[in-house]
Amino acid sequence: MMCEQCGKNPATTHVHTVINGVSAQKNLCTYCAVASGYAGFQSGGLMNMLSSVFGDSLAAHPTSNEKRCNCCGATFSDIAESGKAGCSDCYREFGPQLMNSLQRMHGKTKHVGKVPQSASGEVRAAAYLQNLKDELAQAVTSEEFEKAAKLRDQIKLAEAGENHE
Amino acid sequence: MSKWYESNTSGIVVSTRIRLARNLAGVPFPGRMNDSQRTEVNKKIIDSIMNGSSALSKDLKVVDMDSISDAEALAMVERHIISPAFARNRKNRRLILSLDESISIMLGEEDHIRIQVLKGGLQLFETYEIANNIDTLLSESLTIAFDEQLGYLTECPTNLGTGLRASVMLHLPALESTGEISQLADAVSKIGLTIRGMYGEGSGSKASLYQLSNQVTLGISEKSALDNLKSITMQMIEREQVTCKNFDKISLEDSVFRSFGILKNARLLSSDEMMQYVSQIKIGVSLGIIKLKDENIPIKLMIETQPAMMALKLNSQDASERDIERAKIFREQMS
Repeated sequence: MMCEQCGKNPATTHVHTVINGVSAQKNLCTYCAVASGYAGFQSGGLMNMLSSVFGDSLAAHPTSNEKRCNCCGATFSDIAESGKAGCSDCYREFGPQLMNSLQRMHGKTKHVGKVPQSASGEVRAAAYLQNLKDELAQAVTSEEFEKAAKLRDQIKLAEAGENHE
Repeated sequence: MSKWYESNTSGIVVSTRIRLARNLAGVPFPGRMNDSQRTEVNKKIIDSIMNGSSALSKDLKVVDMDSISDAEALAMVERHIISPAFARNRKNRRLILSLDESISIMLGEEDHIRIQVLKGGLQLFETYEIANNIDTLLSESLTIAFDEQLGYLTECPTNLGTGLRASVMLHLPALESTGEISQLADAVSKIGLTIRGMYGEGSGSKASLYQLSNQVTLGISEKSALDNLKSITMQMIEREQVTCKNFDKISLEDSVFRSFGILKNARLLSSDEMMQYVSQIKIGVSLGIIKLKDENIPIKLMIETQPAMMALKLNSQDASERDIERAKIFREQMS
């Protein structure tokens, strides 16, 4: 059976889904399975196993002019096989192809939390505002209304662009 | 100077560990770096921490991992300072270590920088604050790899986002003996946490010690991740205590005193045997069945009499010599 997505390689990943009682079957090659977020990133284990057993399918898919990361030279196949990015730029180069896997892995694809000093003022301001909102939600839950009122004022200021971080 | 594991280790939560994964922007990750890049990155990070304005550098030293022996590296794993992977591959790797060994910063493990802070007992927020300050110090002079959407960029996509792995080491003999621990492992995996053996990924449990840690790092703030972990930890503590109360008192006392007897009298003590009996002693101390001059002794001795720690102390690879010395240490300390 050939991969139903690219039609070039043998299908080695079979995905059975049941959504609202309707079942469907997808048959993909290992390369397309990773690109669709159905495999990979299991510490390299699954992909290493698959690429050694079905070595030709993974090797045959990428062409010799497959896109390489400008910084470290890694290809998407390198990342899929090892489950590891080559450098921080790889995430920009191959971001769209990785998104499905990240969604499966973490459930979300948008960072929340600390932002380094080197990040742009805009990013830092957004993180500061989010932090205030989290604190406000918590203050309301724990019925600390004075604290909540202060936080609400700080949020208003932050939203108006007067970041007092 | 006393080590981090010499205080607060007598409860169900033996220790807290915080790890932050960070990388420099625009340089390949350790897996794709060449040696000169590695040297340059190590130097930048060491300069940033050791020559920074922070008072922290006074208590830190840089360990050249090339120059230490296998036994020394393994003993560091046994003291939880470094990961087994970092001990295996030490070429051109550096470690920044505090005197009490509570802070260890691995350079060139899976990421350029792995900040780790260890504390006895349940101290998630206090421990995180120390790691967070080191991270802030680093970001003052280095450009850390970060993306607005994906957060801190790490070699393994499982660490993207906050790069934070927080874990608590739990002593759960009661939940282990009833088999409830495997059901709990299933349950916590559904809420983004994981339970592993005492030396982390792939390691089995010894002495009923388990590591509970967060698994998800993207889309959840550091504070929420720590809150979650703390709340599940509190529930595990309660479950362990309730289960323990239901045990038959006399058989529990019997097994504690038998273990105590062996540790006080044995002339040969293997590492596996020691772990089993120390676990019983730890229950005995926490339930007030036996009293020791210092309640941190079980965990302190457990760490200090691990195989590589003993090999290092005796400067010998002979297992029977180690067993004799281990038995001697316990006889002296348990009396």
